[in-house]
Amino acid sequence: MTATTPFLSVRDLYVRFATEDGTVKAVDGLSFELERGRTLGIVGESGSGKSVTNLAVLGLHDPRTTEIEGEILLDGQELTGAPESALEKVRGHKAAMIFQDSLTALSPYYTVGRQIAEPFRKHTGATRREARLRAVEMLKRVGIPNPALRVDDYPHQFSGGMRQRAMIAMALVCDPQLLIADEPTTALDVTVQAQILDLLKDLQQQTGSAIILITHDLGVVAHTVDELLVMYAGRAVERGTVREVLGAPRHPYTWGLLGSMPRLTSDVEEPLSPIPGAPPSLLAPPPGCPFHPRCASVAAVGGDRCRTERPELPAGRGAACHLTPERQRAIFAGQIKPRLR
Amino acid sequence: MLRFLVRRSLGAIVIILLISAITFFLFFALPSEPALMSCGKNCTPDALAVINKNLGLDQPVPVQYWHYMQGIFMGRDFTVGHCPAPCFGYSFSNQQPVWGTIVDRFPTTLSITLGGAAVFLVVGVGIGMIAAAFRGTWIDKFFSSLSLVGGALQIYFVGVIALAVLVSGLHWMDNPAYHPITEDPVKWFTGMLIPWLVLSIIFIANYSRMTRSQMVEQLGEDHVRTARAKGLGRRTVFFRYAWRGALAPIVTIFGIDLGSLFGGAIITEFTFSLHGLGRLAVSSVSETDLPTLMAVMLVGCTAIVVANIVVDAAYAVIDPRVRLA
Amino acid sequence: MTPRTRSPRRRARLAATALAAGALVLSACSSGGGGSGGDKDSGPGDDKTTASNYSIGTKADSTGPAPEVPGAKKGGAVGVLQRDAFNHLDPGQIYYADVLANQMLYNRSLTSYKVDDKGKVKVVGDLATDAGTASDGGKTWKFTLKDGLKFEDGSAVTAKDVRWGIERLYAPFETDGPLYIPQWLSGDGNDFRKALPEGPYNGKHLPSSVLDTPDDKTIIFHFRQPHADTPFATAMPNIGAVKQAKDTKQKYDNAPFSSGPYKVGEYKVGKSLTLVRNEHWDPKTDPIRHQYADRFEISFGHQFADSTRRFLADQGGDKNALSFSNAVAPEMTEKVLKQAGTKARRFVEIQPYVDYISFNTDRLKDAKVRKALAYAMPNGQILQQNGGATAGVVATNYLSPAMDGYRPTDPFQKKANPAGQPEKAKALLKEAGKLGQEIVYAYANTDVQQKVSVVVTQALERAGFTVQKKEVDANTYRTAIAEVKNKFDIYRSSWGADWPVSSTVVPPLFDGRQVADGAQNYGHLKNSGVDSEIDRINAIPDVKKAAPEWQKLADKILEEDVPGVPVFYNRQFSLWGSNLGGVRYHPVYGTVDPTSVYVK
Repeated sequence: MTATTPFLSVRDLYVRFATEDGTVKAVDGLSFELERGRTLGIVGESGSGKSVTNLAVLGLHDPRTTEIEGEILLDGQELTGAPESALEKVRGHKAAMIFQDSLTALSPYYTVGRQIAEPFRKHTGATRREARLRAVEMLKRVGIPNPALRVDDYPHQFSGGMRQRAMIAMALVCDPQLLIADEPTTALDVTVQAQILDLLKDLQQQTGSAIILITHDLGVVAHTVDELLVMYAGRAVERGTVREVLGAPRHPYTWGLLGSMPRLTSDVEEPLSPIPGAPPSLLAPPPGCPFHPRCASVAAVGGDRCRTERPELPAGRGAACHLTPERQRAIFAGQIKPRLR
Repeated sequence: MLRFLVRRSLGAIVIILLISAITFFLFFALPSEPALMSCGKNCTPDALAVINKNLGLDQPVPVQYWHYMQGIFMGRDFTVGHCPAPCFGYSFSNQQPVWGTIVDRFPTTLSITLGGAAVFLVVGVGIGMIAAAFRGTWIDKFFSSLSLVGGALQIYFVGVIALAVLVSGLHWMDNPAYHPITEDPVKWFTGMLIPWLVLSIIFIANYSRMTRSQMVEQLGEDHVRTARAKGLGRRTVFFRYAWRGALAPIVTIFGIDLGSLFGGAIITEFTFSLHGLGRLAVSSVSETDLPTLMAVMLVGCTAIVVANIVVDAAYAVIDPRVRLA
Repeated sequence: MTPRTRSPRRRARLAATALAAGALVLSACSSGGGGSGGDKDSGPGDDKTTASNYSIGTKADSTGPAPEVPGAKKGGAVGVLQRDAFNHLDPGQIYYADVLANQMLYNRSLTSYKVDDKGKVKVVGDLATDAGTASDGGKTWKFTLKDGLKFEDGSAVTAKDVRWGIERLYAPFETDGPLYIPQWLSGDGNDFRKALPEGPYNGKHLPSSVLDTPDDKTIIFHFRQPHADTPFATAMPNIGAVKQAKDTKQKYDNAPFSSGPYKVGEYKVGKSLTLVRNEHWDPKTDPIRHQYADRFEISFGHQFADSTRRFLADQGGDKNALSFSNAVAPEMTEKVLKQAGTKARRFVEIQPYVDYISFNTDRLKDAKVRKALAYAMPNGQILQQNGGATAGVVATNYLSPAMDGYRPTDPFQKKANPAGQPEKAKALLKEAGKLGQEIVYAYANTDVQQKVSVVVTQALERAGFTVQKKEVDANTYRTAIAEVKNKFDIYRSSWGADWPVSSTVVPPLFDGRQVADGAQNYGHLKNSGVDSEIDRINAIPDVKKAAPEWQKLADKILEEDVPGVPVFYNRQFSLWGSNLGGVRYHPVYGTVDPTSVYVK
């Protein structure tokens, strides 16, 4: 390992599920990197493999039905194929996760405080008392009023926003260096969404941890993340800084995502323009570029390339598309941007 | 919690009173005559009239009911003497104070029920959890088929085989019999063991199937995944999170089963020649023994209603959402 | 008519539970008529009980002690497995088989039955020195008590105690037992109670003109009519001694005060009863009973299958166990007959119970039609449905072979034609001009009776009848057919004699003056010739001489009036543990006789 080894490095990750209908290729050769103190956004429709990827980082898939290949290095530690005991030490300690629906993601049977304290005791060997104090402190840090009292409440006694804060508190209780937030704000209303995102940012500034923010909502990432990875059908199709990707997206799929995003400025009457068609079956993904059945630019590439040849994602800034970068820029500037206003 | 219990208890009393009235009045719709039981071989209408008077059956039914219910709470005077509360009257068929008979039979039913329930709960839930832990493997398949076979068996069939093999064939055990635990705990245990095992067979199937499916469902729940993501050990996640979630429906069914067993395990009692409330219930019906029938019904109903309240209370303990809702 | 055990309901239960499975098994093992006992090795064997076995014993016969049973030993506990819990211990309430057998151990009556090991029965004095002395043309009967009779507390049994025992039968709670003596003394039906409405409890007693106890040893009955069979009536368990100080009225049913070789040790009503030695019982006073075993441990709730399984397995405590009245479970009959070593510990014997099909003579007025029914009735098949050869023998006339004076008359040739004679029946119907006669056939909805109804219906239709089946709830069946104005033509009934003299069979079944709701003359026969013949025979002072007369009358009724047809005589099939000796059959009670039983 050299000093330049990134904090988190995912190389050629493949995740396959064995199902009754066949093998689902949920993640199909994905690579990305993330440094401490940085935030990576991963966007894509549901089923694009973004959640699967992150569950794979923590080894949360059922090994009996899941096949994982590739390399996941967290702070130099190989996580793929690591024994459960090793993974247990990483989970909630070095790397923690925030889930989407805090109502179902928290156990209804135990108090919020207990659920926060639990990983703390497990990973630090703290006593019950210490862990409880820590839970109160964490609740305070995530902005729960009256934390000493609320620590004994059950999740259903919390509002949705508070529950999400509690879950963040739970994830951060051991000061993880990597925080994976899987759609942390989807179930919340807009004002609360903003609060939660601000909270995440504040906490990151305090702890310097790396964050992966998974979302299907480009509006969420704009002010939160540093880099952005766009996923489609288990692959990364575009990568760049958030400014690059949102300012000058290159992949037709990213254009589609932007087009389907509601804006506060837009007229309510104006219909959204969703991407035509449906995400491909991961059991039998289409040959060539997996996006080609829904892509408006197949003709612009010309020939059979889109149908037969799989486009590669170049290192650094770029998109996995057969259009040349010049054509990408031209089409966005000429046809897509005006419609986005 | 206290208010909840008080409210439920009041409701239960209303239900029990209602059932007692229905039972009492339905009894008189039976096409048989209780007096015939005590009328000897050369029975005549005259003799029947005398017996009806002895039994108090010559009075209007509502009056009889009133006397009966009065007896339960305040005691009652009979020609034989005073019968202190709770007085369930004297049996039509053997002129015994019914309460004494109930008190005598209940320990047997209690033993059958608690012992059998302990066996089927531990074994059934245990098998279900093992199957869930190893779901999809041969262990799971083995236990699943085993419980399927168990579920298809019947007590009177397994019971007779168990007796023929364990008692008559191999001499491993004595004939099942009830000995009070207070007198000889070892005999109590060995005497009840076969009934417990046989009774539990049909329940084990149910409980293991239910436990397995509940566990599999719970293991797929988000909060279980969260628990794993926190770095909790497999065992902690399995028992503390998944099992806790699977517990509530199991407890519900368990309460209902327990309640109905307290009313008497008829087939088990007959198969093993035990004297519990089930046998008493059957004989009181065939002997048109109203006081005994009423008492058994009331005990059975009370057991079921109480079991329901306990289940609800247990539910509240298990699931805080119910507790505070 | 009334069942052999308990009430109609119990009978129905017995039929439903015990015979359901057995009928099929048995029909396979002994096909054909089921009339004969089968071959000697594996068949149930011949009955010891026959007509010539009854007699009235002498004073010498009545003197104790009972002859020793060869090989008998003292000590040990005898287990008794019973299906139904005893309904009574109070001798005043006892009538049916199981409790009759049980009371022998703790209760003594004025007279009783002395059964020897060959099955011969003598009526002998039990509390009394002999079987009684008649005077006044059989209206007055005198009994003298033996010396040395004692209750379980050592106090002497006196004539006053016997008076108390009889007078308490007048109290309104004593309804379940036989009431011959009170009725003969004070009035028919329930009228006798008017003579002593509260029993002896308020200090009133029967006048000495009715029941006289001139001294401590003498009891004199003054009946309203002559009763030659008084020694049999006084053998009913309720004609014995009850000590006034120990009479707790209804509660006496739990704690009878013993005058016999055993007394109640522990009684858990409905569950178990332990009888222990009564040290004050003197064997020299008792010509019938022994006191070999230390205890009898009786437990209830053993289905026939359970008791049979235990006796067959013959292990541990079950080696010392028997049952008074549990029969071998029908489905296990074959196994019992085939298993080696059971021959010495089982018997199949005729019981004094007979199954009939009664014909309602109010509706079937033509005797030819009734005769045709009698010819057509498939006795053998009906018996098959009831359990076959170990459950009974095809009946040929109204009286059971267990009755004194029985002769195997067979006016409808049932022995040769157990399946009935449809041609003869058809011919008779034709003769009467009633071919296609409709028959309303009522039966209880038990498993056995439903199966019986099928064979009966088929046989009758083969003989040219049209059958309309009416299924009646088993609980109300007896009440329904005992209604005089019932709407049925034929129905099953049964009767058991109270003692082996047919005065307890012919009058209740065929006396036209006894036709009433709830009574046992189910055929509603009203023939004044029969009635006067009944009176004549009842007046014969010697029961031995009366016996053949009853048989003749019964046969005459069967041949001429045909108010019903006898179907089969019941049998008791018993098995017991190998470590018991002295187990005998009691031909009068139709159960095991426990008085000579010992543990080997």
